[in-house]
Amino acid sequence: MRHYKIRFYVLASFLFLFPALLLVLQSLSKTWRFQRGEGIRFQLDSFQVLLSDPNLWSATGWSITIGLLVLLINLVVGITTGKALTSLSFRGKSFIEAVMLAPILVPVLAIAIGLHLFMIRIGLADTALGVVLIHLVPTVPYSIKIFQNAYQQLGRSMLDQPVILGSNPWHQLVTIELPLMKPAIRSVTFLTIVISLSQYAITSIVGGGTIITLPMVFFPFLDTANASIMAAFSVWFAMIPFFLYMIVEALLWLLPYSKKMRRTTT
Amino acid sequence: MTNTLEIKQLSKQFQRNNILNDISFSLHKGEVLSIVGPSGSGKTTLLRILAGLEPPTGGSIVLSGKDITSQKANKRNISLVFQQPLLFPHMTVKENIEYGAKLVKKADKRKIHSLLEAIDLLEYQDYYPAEISGGQQQRVALARAMATEPAVILFDEPFSSLDPKLRKELRLWVRSFLEDRSITSIFVTHDTEEAMLMGDRIALFHDGRFQQIDESSTLYQTPANPFVANFLGGHIVLDEARYIPLRFCRLELPSDESFEKIEGMIKHRTFQHGQMIGHIHIHSLNQNISMPLSESNTQESVSLYLPGSEIRSFGGDAT
Repeated sequence: MRHYKIRFYVLASFLFLFPALLLVLQSLSKTWRFQRGEGIRFQLDSFQVLLSDPNLWSATGWSITIGLLVLLINLVVGITTGKALTSLSFRGKSFIEAVMLAPILVPVLAIAIGLHLFMIRIGLADTALGVVLIHLVPTVPYSIKIFQNAYQQLGRSMLDQPVILGSNPWHQLVTIELPLMKPAIRSVTFLTIVISLSQYAITSIVGGGTIITLPMVFFPFLDTANASIMAAFSVWFAMIPFFLYMIVEALLWLLPYSKKMRRTTT
Repeated sequence: MTNTLEIKQLSKQFQRNNILNDISFSLHKGEVLSIVGPSGSGKTTLLRILAGLEPPTGGSIVLSGKDITSQKANKRNISLVFQQPLLFPHMTVKENIEYGAKLVKKADKRKIHSLLEAIDLLEYQDYYPAEISGGQQQRVALARAMATEPAVILFDEPFSSLDPKLRKELRLWVRSFLEDRSITSIFVTHDTEEAMLMGDRIALFHDGRFQQIDESSTLYQTPANPFVANFLGGHIVLDEARYIPLRFCRLELPSDESFEKIEGMIKHRTFQHGQMIGHIHIHSLNQNISMPLSESNTQESVSLYLPGSEIRSFGGDAT
């Protein structure tokens, strides 16, 4: 067992930690041409270039705001729909499940212009709310599927048990469902924020240049071919999901019965 | 004696299938009713309706004189122990027991302590469910159900996931636990031995209704119909109206009385309590019976002699 644990940590470090460290190292140094036998020359120019962009802070703020709102709506829609799809049986359920997945089967760009026209009609074009709504299209289907699976794993009896003991739906959600679905919440957090953060085309179409998010600031840098600047931007970019993940993790820590998982985690 | 639970003409339909047909019964304080029946007969549905997890199609449920038919499950003073312990894995043993008690504002420290003592898990109160055995988990589930001080506890085959040895130990323990505290309960199982061990009365459930509700001795002595006799075993059902208890059947020709003779084939021989048991198929009645054999009986086919004086009618005396 111990042998497998060590092997896991070595593999995980090599595949995940090592590339991330290289990226950080590259962002703090001049382009490293190791094949010429050159050493690493540390510098902070790449971050200075990054920070000199006038839109960087506002774009970061918008990305975080939009990401958080998208995450919040995903959690609400995912949990309620996932629970309904697991606990209710009704005619046409498979059809409804297929419809729920439809948005990720059709490329968003294919319907982006149509959606933009719709947003103009309802007055949400060029607004943050419009961008949030459009970001739900490629994220909500995943959230529903993840929470549906999480509820299926919990099982119907586990959902009945708190009711039998006198719990109301809200108390049950907070004390039983959310603590037991932490892995699903973490998955949805990462997936939703990374997908939302990566949307360039639909954000610029619906945001109309008024709402500037990080990808819009990031794309012009692609021309530079300067590995250090690209690495600095990637580090900056990666910090957002990490930061939001930390917030979600702190909130999960506040859930009842979350602070004492001592022996089982060892 | 006042009834704790009264069920009147309870029925349940799923689409067009009748799962429960006008079921009526009552339980007085401290009584344990075992409901036994084949798998899929609707026993669990009956418990879910009593617990409030499913609505009945018709009829009423009266608990301590109050009609609770339309009351929500979380407001009913009825607890249900499922097949699986279903302990909350992120809570300790103590937190699991306290969970329901806190909700109904009956979480008294001394009570929780005495429950932990009663289930013999005081030392394990800070352990998580994954760290204790299956039998211990089921005991915690029982204490958790008890902690809310319900008027009635429903058990839905709570030992079916345990190994036979543990099951035997635990059912004796639960029986005395319920008896000591005078807890009114309904115990659902498909095991007749378990039903007899747990219940003051036994209800045989089939085709959406109770075929017979009685004490175990009455059930064996005067089964109401062929289903009851067949399900309990220990009888040969001769036709829709007559049966004979197996203990009166002879493998040797009786000399002094009138008898009926039927032929059987010994399919298997097993041993129970040091006695050889023959598992015999009676082709003419399409029945399988099990009865003691002597060591000398090595033939495949046997003749069974049924004394006429012991052949009885269902629900009545000897003919």
